[in-house]
Order: sequence, then C-alpha cells, then structure tokens
Amino acid sequence: MNTATKAILLGVVIGILALFARGLGNNPRHIPSPLTGRPAMPFEAPSLKDPQKMVSLRAHEGRWVVLNFWGSWCASCVREHPYLITLSRIAQAKDFAMVGVDFRDTREGGRRFLQRHGDTGYAHAFDPDQRIAIDWGVYGAPETFVIDPKGIVRLKHAGPLYPGWFEQRMAPLMSVSQSQAAGVTQ
Amino acid sequence: MWIETGHFAAILALVLALTQTTAPLAGALLGKPAWIRVGRHAAIAAFLLLTLSTASLVISFMTHDFSVRYVAGHASLNLPVFYLATAMWGGHEGSLLLWTWLLSTFTAVSAWRHWKSHPISMPWILVILGAVLVGFLMLVLFLSSPFERLFPVPMDGRDLNPLLQDPGMVFHPPFLYLGYVGFAVPYAFSMAALITGKAGEEWILATRRWSLFAWGMLTTGIILGAYWAYYELGWGGYWAWDPVENASFMPWLTATAFLHSVMVQERLKMFKIWNLFLIVATFALSLLGTFLVRSGVLSSVHAFANDPGRGVYILGFMSVMLLFSFGLLAFRSEKLKGSISMKGMVNRESAFLFNNLFLVVGMITVLLGTLYPLAVETLSDAKVTVGAPYYNKVFIPIMLGLLLLMGIGPRLAWRRMSSDRLRRALVGPLVGGVVGLVAAFGLEVNHPYGVATLGLIAFALFSHISEIGMALKARRKRFDQESGPVSAWRLVTRNKRRYGGFLVHLGVVLMAAGFIGSGLFQEERNVVLKVGDRTSIGQWQLTFDSLGKVSRQNWVADQGTFIASRAGGAPVVLTPQKRIYERHAQPMTEAAIHAIWQEDLYIVLGDSVGEGWSVRIYRNPLVSWVWWGAAVMGFGVMVAMGQGRRLRRRKG
Repeated sequence: MNTATKAILLGVVIGILALFARGLGNNPRHIPSPLTGRPAMPFEAPSLKDPQKMVSLRAHEGRWVVLNFWGSWCASCVREHPYLITLSRIAQAKDFAMVGVDFRDTREGGRRFLQRHGDTGYAHAFDPDQRIAIDWGVYGAPETFVIDPKGIVRLKHAGPLYPGWFEQRMAPLMSVSQSQAAGVTQ
Repeated sequence: MWIETGHFAAILALVLALTQTTAPLAGALLGKPAWIRVGRHAAIAAFLLLTLSTASLVISFMTHDFSVRYVAGHASLNLPVFYLATAMWGGHEGSLLLWTWLLSTFTAVSAWRHWKSHPISMPWILVILGAVLVGFLMLVLFLSSPFERLFPVPMDGRDLNPLLQDPGMVFHPPFLYLGYVGFAVPYAFSMAALITGKAGEEWILATRRWSLFAWGMLTTGIILGAYWAYYELGWGGYWAWDPVENASFMPWLTATAFLHSVMVQERLKMFKIWNLFLIVATFALSLLGTFLVRSGVLSSVHAFANDPGRGVYILGFMSVMLLFSFGLLAFRSEKLKGSISMKGMVNRESAFLFNNLFLVVGMITVLLGTLYPLAVETLSDAKVTVGAPYYNKVFIPIMLGLLLLMGIGPRLAWRRMSSDRLRRALVGPLVGGVVGLVAAFGLEVNHPYGVATLGLIAFALFSHISEIGMALKARRKRFDQESGPVSAWRLVTRNKRRYGGFLVHLGVVLMAAGFIGSGLFQEERNVVLKVGDRTSIGQWQLTFDSLGKVSRQNWVADQGTFIASRAGGAPVVLTPQKRIYERHAQPMTEAAIHAIWQEDLYIVLGDSVGEGWSVRIYRNPLVSWVWWGAAVMGFGVMVAMGQGRRLRRRKG
C-alpha cells in the first residue's frame, strides 16, 4: 500500500468518525412519532402539587400547547429543567400554554424535584401508573410534544430540550399557516 | 432472583473477557503457551456465563417478572407466549445482550474449533474477539443494563410495541445479528494475519466458511426485514432505503465482494490485501450499523435511544476499533503482499475484479446517501433526506452491471483465454439474452431498465445452464456407465461450493425479476368504499362485501371482507384489518395479501370516511419472486457450506 492510498483510507475513516462525533454532539434528535399529525389524546389527571385540582389538555383548547413528560427519577430531566423554566417565560410572551406530566413517580419525589430544581410556573399532571404516558407512546423521559390550537400533535421531541429549541423547532411551526396542519412536519 | 444471577454472570463474563484479551496477548509476546490456553478457557467460560445471563432475562419474561424494568417495558400479562419468549430482543438493552451473547458464542466456537488448525493466529484471534466482547459487555452492563429492577413493581407491563408482534420481526433481528456478529470471526482472523504477517491456506478456508455463514444469515435477516415491512407496515413496498436498512445492506455488499475475491486469492494468491480490506470494512460497517441504530444519530423509524451517553460510548468504541484495524491494514499489509499480478483482461480473475468494483462502488453510493443528510444537518443545520430517487438512479445501473458480470464470469477461464474459446463460451448466453429481449417486447415491457434487466436475466440464466450442461457432458464422457441423474448428482456433490454458488446466482436472478416487476409496474389505487361497492385493479374485480369486528388475546380490529375475482381463477376472500392493541392507542393496519405467482393483490384498510372507508389497493407484480429468490439463495448457501468440512477431512 503506498502512501497516498494509506492517507486516503485513514482520512476517510477519520472523516466519517468526525462527522458522527459532530452529529452526535448537536443533533436535536427529533424523532418522527406516529402521533404527529394526529389528534392529541385527551387526558385529565390530578395535579402534582394539589391533588384536589385537575390538570387537563382540554383546558388549553385553542392555544398552542407544549406537553412535557418527565419524572424525578430521570437524569436528563434535570439537565433540561433550566430550559423549561426559560420556556415558560417565553410561553407567556408568545401566548402558548405548557403542561407537564410527572409519570412513573411518587408525589413526594416529584414535588421535591420541583423544589430543588426550581418551579416551572405551570401545572403538572401526576401520572404514577403511567396511564397518560402509555397513551402517548412515551418511550423514555424526557419527551416533549407540541400540540396546535386545533388539538393536533405537531411535533415530538425525545430527549432533553436545549437552549434555542423554541426558536429552532417550535416557532417555525407556529408561523406556518394552520391550514397546512396535518402530517407535513415531524 | 433469576435476574440478579444473570447480572452477576454477566459481570463475571466481563472479567473473563478481560482475561481473554490480556492473557493470550501476554502469552504470545512472552512465548508462554499456557497463558494462551487460559484465554481459550476464559472464552468458553464467558460463553457459558452469558448463556446464563440471556436465559435469566428470557425466564424473567416467561414468568412476567415486572419488577425487572426491561420486562415491564416490553411485555404485558396478555402478550402471547411466543412473543413473550422473544420480547427479549424487543428493545435496546435486550438486543445488545443478544448481540453480546452471539459474539461470545462465536468466540467460544472458534476457540474450540480452530485451536489445533490455527496455532499461530489463535492468540490474536482470542485477543481481538475478547476486546470486542469487552466493548459490548461494558455497554450492556454500564450504559444499557437489562438487569435493572423497577420499584414500585407495576401490576402489568407496558407491553411490546405492536409493530414487533409479528413473526417477521421476531426472526429479523437475530438473523441480522448472526450476520453482523458472524463477521467478527473473519475480522479477527484477518487482524491476526496482519499482526503475525502470515495468512496461509487455512486462513482462507476458515474465513471463507465463517463469512459464508455470516453472509447467509445477513441475507436472511435483511430479507426477513423486507418481508416484515411488506406485510406489517402496509405501504405496499418492502424496501425504503431507510438509513438503518442501508446500514445492513452495506456490510452485505462488501461481504459479497469478499466471497468472490477470496476465490482469486485461493486460486492465484492474488488480492490478499484487498481481501483483508474487504473483511475489515465488512465488520466496520456492521459496527457502523449497530452504531446508527443504537445511538440515535440519524432519525429513522428504527432508532430510539434517548440517552446521548450511549451514542458517545459506541462512537468511542467504534473509533478505537476502526482506527486500530485500518491503521494496522495500512501499515502492516506490506508483509502479506503477493507477487503475482494481473495478466490480460479476459479471464475469470478480472471478472471478479469488476464484480468487486461494482459492489464496492455500490457500497460507497449507499454510504454517501446515508451520510449526506447527517453531513448537511451537522454543517448547515438544514434537514434533508435522501430517498429512493437517488438510490434508484445510481443503484439500478450497478445492479445491471452485476447481472452482466454474473452471466460472463462463470464462463471464463482462469488466467488466460483464447478469443476463440471466449466466443464459444458466450454464444449460448448471448442467444439467451436475445431471447430475453424478445420476450421483453412480447410482454410489452416499455421501460428501458425493465427491458435491460429481462435481457440480462436471460443472459445470466443461459450462461449458468450452458456451464452446467458442459460440465455434465464432460463428466458423462469420463464415467460413461453412470446414468444421467446420478451424474448430475455427483457433479453437484463433488463441488458443492461451485454449484451452491450457482444456486445463489439463480436466487439473484429471481430476485432481480422481482425487483423490476414490483418496482416498475406497481399499480396503486386509493378509493373510498362503502359496503357493497365495487372497484377494480389490473385483472381483479373487487367487491367490499362486509365489515365486522374481530378480537384476539390482546387486540380488537375492524375487519373488512373483500371478494376478489378474476378471469380464469376462483374468487378469493381478503380480510384487511385495522387493529387496536390493548394498552396502545395507535391503530395498526394489517394488510391483506393474496399472492399468485405473477403478482400480489394487496389491500389496506384505512380510516372511516363519512359512511365509507378509505381503502388502498395495490397490484404488486412479481413480489413473491423476491421471497422465493431469497429462499433459493439461502439453500445455495447451505449447499456451499457443505464443502469446507469435506476439504478438511480429506486433508486430515
């Protein structure tokens, strides 16, 4: 094998590995969900903070909703938590709603998580037996869904949200005319 | 407490795998045979322990032990027993454990079988396979453990993804893994050859049989996946050039190239370095396939790992393996260089050379198509997908080239061939090709690719037939007291490798016909039908007869009954379903398929629209030829595999 062949062979191998390394680093991992383009699965469950109150998706009908699945047992949820707090501020400015679902968790654990990492300022449904999570086909945590004012799921994001997620992923959806709703994005 | 036993066994297996990596290394460097033997025993013990681990997970599934997180996530009380037993590889953690277990199985088998025959390479084979095993075991134990408990224990599990509740999906992953992992052994052999600087005769025998085995498994795995997609996903096709499909196709292409070019090495001692490259590339692409599926770096229907840590680990592991292997190849291969060079163009070795060229170019086009979206997304943040149009444009010509070579190659002699003999050898196939072209016009095939394929199929078919005919005639001349069938039987059994290969070629011909038929001549109809409505597609007259409900152990379904009739055939009943599985909100379509030899009638029940139902109907010509072609290929591989044993017995 002469020097040129050697250089090409190793160069190609290193190039591919470098590409993967970069792809792994900043890939937003939006995974197409079979739910996108379909009507959101309605739910109603007691609130995490106040078992007397109910949290439901229907309460936000007519607005964009960000639905975030999390649990106090999930390490990546800690990582995305600061951004959720930021996002709730963006939500007020841009007029969309946010709903959390704390699943496969204990009430004590979920409350302590919010105390330690900061309150998000929006309501969380408490889903210890994963009824909602199963309906929504949640594989792991965190997972986030975006639902449009007509109640159609428009986006599923698996894995932690990251700074800039709203501008990159959600804002474009909100600006697209709603008549083109179903099925064109993922 | 089965799962803890399994967990503990896996930890012990990691210790043994480390021993297997280090002891033979030290033994080989210091010249202590006893240490090499330690490595061998470690390999076999690790296999037994991992068998226990795997069994413990299967037992946890069978006993509905939902305190195991992985079981709770992939099974439920209502899951039928068959899927319960195989749900072990229904998710990320379990399938990695399966990968690891298969690797340890092959490691143990090669430590046991090749111990006497490959004394020089053995320590290095143990070291290399041990290192791969360590890599995968660490991934299983530290980053995706299937042995974790879940507390509080749920009453019922989250159930297996209904898409996976299908026989095709039960067998698709294990076969694919048998293929991927099977290439680890030839890979270890070639690494050993590079390290020791020796690649003798037995090297070819051993690697060739292992590669043949792995290739057969990979082929079966890919086809089972395609078959599953065709039956279960309900979009009328079977191959979508999805990144993960490509990931399994790329090692297949390089392995196919290797199986051909290794014959040149066996015969003429040429292409030695090239063969090492092909083997290393095949295993590297197998790892790449695993990486693509398991890291979530490409979004695809198959990828769903949510933890970036795993991706980083697999990438790190793969980088070490790739840089080490290709580095070794680049800097050590001089040692193995052969001294014979190519003479002339018209001989069998150059046919193999072109075959390799086409296959490797095919692999590169698939690799480019797979990596391009990733590159664009990484560098410019735009999202693109490379779809069927690109692959069809570049891949069909490559396939046609391969068909042409398949027709020419078997008729050429090694080394040198006179133009007179060449002419005689190619007359039969050329006549066949012309017959094929005429047939294409007779059948009113109006697509240039269709015409070309038909001509080349006939060309290749005639080439093989006249080759067999000539061999048979030669044998009958030598053994004139043999009867015809006895002669034919002996001809095949005396050279199973050659005729096994011919069978594989026949399978390829059938599949090529299937690809062209289903790819170019598919008809699709989207209609909204009420009960009692009629419609038609191709030669079929369809009546939407009735609509009902059916239910089984863990699903209920809307089922439409369609009656399809055609001239010259009895009417058939097709029942496409729309199933709702318990614990899953999303409905699953179950296509109804009626296959006759020339086409499939394929009906998918969609959503209800007003008073009617949307129904998609496909006429898929020649699809079943793809499946039959694959079956013939599998049979050919089995025939060819029979040979190595005979060679060895004759030697010993």
